[in-house]
Parts: sequence; C-alpha cells; structure tokens
Amino acid sequence: MPLSILLTEGRNCAHGRRYGLAVLACGVVALGLLPFRTHLDLPNTVMFFLLSVVIVAVTVGRGPAVLTSVLGVALFDFLFVPPRFSFEVSYAPHLLTFVVMLVVSLLVGQLTAGLRLMASEAARRERVAQGLYGLARELAGAVAVEQVDESVARFLQDQWQAPCRLLLPAPDERLLAVRERSGPFLETASVLLTQARSGLRPLRVPAGDGSGRHVHALPLAGATRNRGVLMVALEEGDEDIGPLLEALAALVSTAVERLHFVEVAQAAQVEAVSERLRSSILSALSHDVRTPLTALYGLADSLVVGSPPLPDEARDIAGAIRDQALRVNGMVGNLLDMARLQSGPVHLRKEWQPVEEVVGASLQLLGKALDGHPLRVSGLAELPLLDLDAVLIERVFCNLLENATKYSPPGAPIVLSATTGASTVELQVASGGSGFPPDKLDRVFELFERGQPETAEPGMGIGLAICRAIIEAHGGSIRAFNPPEGGGCVAFCLPLGNPPPIESEALVLEGEGA
Amino acid sequence: MNDAMILLIEDERQIRRFVRGALEKEGLRVSEAETRREGLVEAGRCQPGLVILDLGLPDGDGSLFVADFRAWSSAPVLVLSARSTEHDKIGVLDAGADDYLTKPFSIGELLARVRALLRRGRGRPDAEAARVVFGEVEVDFSLHQVLRRGELVRLTPLEYRLLAVLAANPGKVMTHRQLLQAVWGQATGDNSHYLRIYVGHLRHKLEDDPAQPRHFLTETGVGYRFQL
Repeated sequence: MPLSILLTEGRNCAHGRRYGLAVLACGVVALGLLPFRTHLDLPNTVMFFLLSVVIVAVTVGRGPAVLTSVLGVALFDFLFVPPRFSFEVSYAPHLLTFVVMLVVSLLVGQLTAGLRLMASEAARRERVAQGLYGLARELAGAVAVEQVDESVARFLQDQWQAPCRLLLPAPDERLLAVRERSGPFLETASVLLTQARSGLRPLRVPAGDGSGRHVHALPLAGATRNRGVLMVALEEGDEDIGPLLEALAALVSTAVERLHFVEVAQAAQVEAVSERLRSSILSALSHDVRTPLTALYGLADSLVVGSPPLPDEARDIAGAIRDQALRVNGMVGNLLDMARLQSGPVHLRKEWQPVEEVVGASLQLLGKALDGHPLRVSGLAELPLLDLDAVLIERVFCNLLENATKYSPPGAPIVLSATTGASTVELQVASGGSGFPPDKLDRVFELFERGQPETAEPGMGIGLAICRAIIEAHGGSIRAFNPPEGGGCVAFCLPLGNPPPIESEALVLEGEGA
Repeated sequence: MNDAMILLIEDERQIRRFVRGALEKEGLRVSEAETRREGLVEAGRCQPGLVILDLGLPDGDGSLFVADFRAWSSAPVLVLSARSTEHDKIGVLDAGADDYLTKPFSIGELLARVRALLRRGRGRPDAEAARVVFGEVEVDFSLHQVLRRGELVRLTPLEYRLLAVLAANPGKVMTHRQLLQAVWGQATGDNSHYLRIYVGHLRHKLEDDPAQPRHFLTETGVGYRFQL
C-alpha cells in the first residue's frame, strides 16, 4: 500500500487525536455497557467491543483500530469478566475467549480499515481522472498558450496544491515562462531546463527553499521537436504520481504543438494572401502599362517597315518613336522590378544551373545593344553549378552589361570573368571608359543614384540597385571599383553551396546506336 | 507566304490593328477575336492554321484556351505575353502552346516566328525529318550520326536523345518539364540540373561559341528553343 495514503491521512487528522478517538471509543463502549452488565451475557458484551473496533477502523483507520482491539480486550477482562477489576483469569476457557476476541478484533479492524483505504483511494483517483478529463477538454479548446498555462496551473493547484510554471521557447530559442507565478522555482534552474529540454524523461531536483518540495521538470515532447518544459513543485508525499505527470506533460505538449501549428498555418496563409495581392497588383500594373507601349511600339514599327515606304524623314521619326517606346518600356520594367524586389521578401525560384547558360541568355536578350563592344568572356565554363534564380541573375547580367556599354567609349571591350573562391564564386564585368567617380564608389548601388549625373546617357539609377537587391537575396555581395588598368568594374559574389552530385555517362562510340 | 488563316485573339484594338496589318501584308488571311470564348467559337468556324493568343485576356487564362483548342486541333499557337510572367508562360506552353513572344515586340520578330511556326505546321516529309542540318552540323537520325564540319561528333546516349527531341521541334519552346519527360522519362525536380548540364554539353560539342549559342537557345526560367 502506498505510503502516501497514510501520510495523507496523517495530514488530515493528527496522530494523537486519532488514537485519542480510539481510546474514547473504547471508554464509551465500556462505560455505556457497565450499567447493563447484569442483563448482558459476556458474548453480547464482546459483540459491542467488536462493533467499536469496526467503527474506529472505518472512521479513523488501521492503527487506532489495533489500539481499540487491544484496549477492548483489556477493558472487557478488567470490567466485565469475573473476577472484576483485576486481570486475573479464574476460569481457563475465558483465556481462549480473550485470544479469539483479540484475533477477531484485529482481523475485522484490518479488513475494514483496508476497505476504507481502498474506497478513499478510488475516490481520490476518480477526482484526479475527472480533473484530467476536464483539463483535456479545456486544452482541446484553448486558443492561446496563456489559456493552456491557466488550465494546467488550476489543475495542479486543485489536485495537489502544487505550483507550476510553463516555459515555452521564444523565437530565439530561449525558454520563457508564459506567466511568472510565485513558487519555489530555482533561479539556477536554467541548467535543469536545458537538460530537461534535450532529454525525454522528467528531471527532479530539491526546490532548495526549505519547503521540502521537489521541482519536477517535464519535457514537452512534440512530434517534431521539443516544445518547452513544464515545471511542477511537488511535496515529498506526492511523488508517486510520476506516470500522471507524464500524461499531463503529453496533454500539454499536444495542446502547445497544436497552437504552434495553427499559428504557422495562419502566418503562411496571411503571407500567401499578401504575396498574391502584391503580385497581382504588380502584374496588373505591368499589363496595363505594357499594353499601350506594345501598341505604340508596334504601330511605329509598322510605319518604319511599311510599304510603300514613307518619305525618309517621316520614317526616321517613326523609328525614333519606336525606339523611345522601347526605352520607356525598359524603364517601366526596371521600376516594376524594383517595386517587386522592395515590396517584401523576394521569392527566389532557385535551381542548380551553369552560370554560362545564364550569361548566354543575357547576351541573347541584349542582342544588338552590345554591338560595337567586343565581349571577352573567361572562366565561365569551368564554374560549378550554382543555386540561383536564373530569371533574376539574367537581369543582373543584363543590367551590368548594358551599363558597361553605356559608360564606355565605342569599340572598348567588355570583359566578363569568373573566379572560384573557397566558399563563393566571384563574377566581374569590367569596361573601359572613365570608370566610376571615385567618391561615389560605395553609393552607386543606392536607388536613384547615378554614377555620372551630368552625362546624356538615359537612365534613372535603378539598374545597379536592382542588381544589389537580387544578389543580396541570393546571399551574395556586390561592389564597384576602378581597376588600376583603367575603366570601371562591378564584381559580385554568389555562395557556392553544395551542388547536387553529377553522374557522368559513358560515351558511345561514333556511329554506334544511341 | 501561303493561304493559311490566322486567328488573332487579343483584347487591345491597337495591337490587333498593327499585327493584322503586318500579317496581311505577308499575304495571310486574318480573323480576329477579343475574348477567350469568342476565340474558341471563331477557331471552330475558321479552322485556323495558326493562332496568335494574348496571355492577358479579360475572360481568363490563356492556357484554358490552349487546352480546349488542343482537344481538336494541332495547329501551332503563338502566345503574346508580358515579361516577368514565366509561371504563366510555362503553364500555357505545357498546355500545348508552341512559342511565345514577349511584349513589346517588333514586326520583324513577329513575322519571323509566324513564318517558322507555319513552316512547321505544314509538316515535313519523313526523308527530310530524318536529316537535320544547322550551322556546320549535320545530324542523320537514320544512321545515328552527328557530323560537325564533316567530322564525327561523339555523343552520349542521353545527349543524343536530347538532341533528337530538340531537333524534332525546331522553333518550338520546350519547357524544362517537357524535355525532362521526353529524355529522362520523368519530370521530377531531382534531375532538372542534368537537363542544363546536357544542354551545356551539346553547346560545347556543337556550337561555335557555347557562351553565345545560336541554335540551342535558353528561354530563361521557361525552357529551351532549338533554332535551325
């Protein structure tokens, strides 16, 4: 039988008082029976003493029942069995009566007290079970961790008057109490907490405040990771409820985990909605601006290529309108790109690909714009695959190459080179000309900052800002400098990462089937 | 060029105007529609040899039109789209469109695409299909032979298969998914980098300047186009 039951009783009713009650019960029976001594047979008297043992066993427990048994036999002998007022036994069979009476009293007392204990234990368990059911119901309906904390604290208070503290990880992974409650929780408990978090079993340490309580640190094990720690300060006697505490921890961790996933789902939904809204606004804007530009460009082009041909001057004008429309389109494109990059987290569609291909696509896109500038490309074929958003990196190359043609004299070569470092790949686009103004080297990547504001070259100072935004979204860095051999150069680094393995394939012999 | 009927589905009147003008000057007949619904009806009526489809129609996604149209016609579809909508382009190409043109576009670009698609739409005799010549490269599919400047080029089985798929669809934009499906048999993301590596191999073996390819063109974020 659990020791705690006795101790629980001990708390409810002081020892002395319980045994006093036992003595009192014997006294009452003995004194009550004395007046009727002449009318009652000895066996009847014995019955009354046995009755007193049963009553004591039911009401105050096992120990007092033993005392009642012994005391009852003594009083019966002393007060009722002749010779009265003496423990002497004149008639031998009476001795047997005393022994049997004592044995029966002890047995009846023990059995009755045992039943009483079992009943009270069952009642206590039922109370705990009811409490757990209630708690489970409350936790299932909780919509915030504060509610979880509140329900658990109330449950532990009701059941064992045990203070508790629920600690959940903050975004920076530090454990923080949902609500600070007074209780014998050690300030040095952080070591205990880290241990409890990393383990699966509950830990137990003395509370250290002289209350005799022990602090139990219960890890809240979630499906994917630890969800926090529940600390409970229990009194010495309550410590056999370990399995119960573990059940409690499982309930709490389920509730906390559910709330966590609800939160994650909501955040994802909000982000998806705002992302959708943002991209639909930008696409609508893009469509609305591009449609008239397309018409303008195409209509002007149809005048240029139309037959019969227009007079020369009119055709020149139509050509100029067409070219200006294209330029406006480029600016609108840049502005929309910048808006897209600045309006929130950039969503990269990253895939492992060769940089050479992205450069090739950029050159294809630029087409005639590069005419008149011989392009020297080196080191691209040797680069490993990089994890990048090709559409955006293509934008970077286009902007850099376009800038290089804009700011270098006709015929000056453009050099595109690549070098592989320890953890990054550096790509450089260098061009002739006067390079960047030395005092503005660190500002050229700022929005609306133009390297050479006085030049007649068109542009708004968006191109390099877009490059920076894209490179930084890839976890890289970008810088501008004027190399000693003259001209200007923009260099950007992209992280190498861990490229996927590539299995090479055997060559087939010439002419053999594939 | 020929007497094929071209169906132009575009909601902006001024764009229809210059596109129609340019096509008619080429001797092509043009029929117009403003919405997806109207376009489907018109397509059923005029049985076009080529459809030019705007991706931003007021009554819905262009890929819906292509899916409906493909149910009964194999005529080529040229899509007009704004830049920065790679996702939509992939959708409409996967649905069965053949090529796209980014707005704004010049009349020269438009006519070049239209000519290429009409040529393809007519189909080629088998003898011609078994042999493809581009630049200095000669591919003979009946002999499994690839010659460059008259010399044999060694290709791996996958490189050869990729070349065959691309060469069978000259001028058509093939999405990454379509190529992975055709060459590797599955379009999972696991091996998508292989596609890029193998296109790189083909460029290094068959192009004059692999960094500035002229036949194996990249449609960034979308796929590849093989150009004769």
